[in-house]
Amino acid sequence: MEDKYADLLQRCAASRDQIAFKQLYEETSPKLLSLCMRLLQNKQLAEDVLQEGFIKIWEKADTYAPEKGKAMTWMATVVRNKALDKLRSLKTKAAETEIQYEGLEFASTDLAPDSLENLSQDMKGLMDCLNKLKPAQRECILLSYYYGHTHQELSDRLEKPLGTVKAWIRRGLEDLRPCLA
Amino acid sequence: MSSIKRYQNPEIFEQLAMEYAVGGLHGRAKKRFETLMETHFYLKATVEAYEYKFAHLVELLPDEKPSDQLWENINAQIKIDAQPAEVKITSWWHSLFNTKVYGLVASALIISAILLFNPMTGSPIAYTAVLESSTTHTAMAVTRISQADMQLSIDMMKHPDIPDNMELHLWCHPKDGGKPVMMGAIAKSGETIIHIDKAEWRSFKNVGLLAVSIEPKGKQSSDGPRGEVLLEGQLSSIHET
Repeated sequence: MEDKYADLLQRCAASRDQIAFKQLYEETSPKLLSLCMRLLQNKQLAEDVLQEGFIKIWEKADTYAPEKGKAMTWMATVVRNKALDKLRSLKTKAAETEIQYEGLEFASTDLAPDSLENLSQDMKGLMDCLNKLKPAQRECILLSYYYGHTHQELSDRLEKPLGTVKAWIRRGLEDLRPCLA
Repeated sequence: MSSIKRYQNPEIFEQLAMEYAVGGLHGRAKKRFETLMETHFYLKATVEAYEYKFAHLVELLPDEKPSDQLWENINAQIKIDAQPAEVKITSWWHSLFNTKVYGLVASALIISAILLFNPMTGSPIAYTAVLESSTTHTAMAVTRISQADMQLSIDMMKHPDIPDNMELHLWCHPKDGGKPVMMGAIAKSGETIIHIDKAEWRSFKNVGLLAVSIEPKGKQSSDGPRGEVLLEGQLSSIHET
């Protein structure tokens, strides 16, 4: 399937095309900011990280390899890793939060048909795999991805023993692996 | 089982790679895994594959509109990055003093003209910079960094007057304002060749300014120039047209 963002990235890399980069930014930044805001729980920090992420995307556009995955997944990985680095560097994470995004409603197991229509085949496949997990396993994995919670934070949030949370994640990933292969 | 043997077991490392990619490794476990990833390609490749798989989760997120200022900040930064450096000609044109200087500076001007009037395509094949005196703004050296022969050459067109116990050091200043990197000591006159490796070649795309400082002979500072900065010049990239 055609990857529109890959074409834009290619133009950024090959001819330093700033118009292509702006289009890429306009179309992808709302999802990427949404991810940063969930990880960092602070809009200013999220925008700072997104800015760093897009500068890196511009500078490293030539390192994107289409055979490894879609352009959006590469960009999301670049931005998420920046956000996780920032999160790790913030010693007072809890005190600095201001937004309090918490839920996983957007990743519900029964999405409305019009929401499903907009998803890529890869995402639909991933969703099928995640929906086969036990609800607690699925919840822990998604909370780790979207919010960057540590095992201890998940334990506190879900009010479950640490060992139980660790086991949910471990077994959830074990079950996910054959499905994702 | 030693830690690396443990990570060579596909069952274990794949599980850890998934856990890393989903964000489940933290603290010392995460740092240990990242250290191993730096030296073991298969770990890095497996993590990357899972990062890409999980990154589709971004599609489920509701949109959040960034502030208008954010694009302005990014745009300002990439414009700086993308703009070919201009060579100042007014201040030192009158100071051309012999055919050699004329030839070298003319070469630099031709390169600059190519940069200004031809769209850049692909990766750079060379970089160049005219280094001017920080005080008088007279052109004193021409630097060329070439991928073809993997070397940096700096040609001193004027002989700076420095004490015998001092020498000249060449520095690369990153575009983002980070710590400068010393390339080596250079001769006060004539041409100095510094051989570079692939990693150094790649890093030049992040260099904005070259500088030459006067330092005590045999003393190397890793933090940046400590002595007077004698010459400076913006680095420009040259692309195949």
